[in-house]
Amino acid sequence: MNIRNYIDSGILQNYALGLTSPAEVATLEKLLPLYPDLQDALWDWEMKLEQYAIQHQTPPPEGTWELIADRIRELPATRPAYGQNGHSNGQETKEKEEEYLSVKHHSSTIRVHKYWRPAFIIIFILSKIFLALSIYYYLQYKHTQKDIQSLQQQLPKANGPVQAAGK
Amino acid sequence: MLFSYVLQFLPEEEAGSLLVNIFSKLSTRLEEACNSSLSIYCWLQVEARKIILEHIGGKGGGGQGTEYYSSLLQDASPEQQWVFRELFLNGRQKEELALQVGKDGAYIDNLLKESLVTIGKRLT
Repeated sequence: MNIRNYIDSGILQNYALGLTSPAEVATLEKLLPLYPDLQDALWDWEMKLEQYAIQHQTPPPEGTWELIADRIRELPATRPAYGQNGHSNGQETKEKEEEYLSVKHHSSTIRVHKYWRPAFIIIFILSKIFLALSIYYYLQYKHTQKDIQSLQQQLPKANGPVQAAGK
Repeated sequence: MLFSYVLQFLPEEEAGSLLVNIFSKLSTRLEEACNSSLSIYCWLQVEARKIILEHIGGKGGGGQGTEYYSSLLQDASPEQQWVFRELFLNGRQKEELALQVGKDGAYIDNLLKESLVTIGKRLT
């Protein structure tokens, strides 16, 4: 496929404006990951449309955003209504599915009970205390070893005059 | 940003209430927007247009609002403007337009392509 001809056909502009047929969309979406030039051309066109939208934006009537927020807030609030009557038909189930925000969550983190927080802090502090104590006692041990060594070295010297005095 | 887009299809008072419907309908499809090959904003425009066309479908067509993309077609021929307006603003099919002017689909495709080239030039 000559990708330059494909780009020049105006397919990307049609796609970004929603003027493509499902078959054209399917073909384009298969080709996009294979041809970086195609992807770049699409981004370029999208960028132009977005810049145009920014330059020509008109604020909606006052209170519109509050209405949108209220409507979106209403979505989860309708959930218990389905559970309370104990039965629902297919239509209701479909409506219910549409009202839920479908969010796939992929995370490498885990959630633990909040009581673990002070426990972790205590463990952390204790580990620091034990580390400090172990360093302290290690230095004490080294110091004592040195003292013993120096005492052992002094012992023959001290024994010499004592033995001489005894004779 | 989306309000000015909606305004090209509908008068202001109707566009405001439809904007609320658009956001409430599309808020349940956020995942679809993220997985789309289009940018979030373009996806939003495309999906909003579907909702708008569905809304105006029974009322005999759109394009009653302000000029938006149409204003970029001032340099285009009347035929190109007509094709763009009928396809984009009124949601008519290419085959339908081809039949109306007694030409084939390729003729309409070409006029649409030329109108999009004109829009593209004005966008840069």
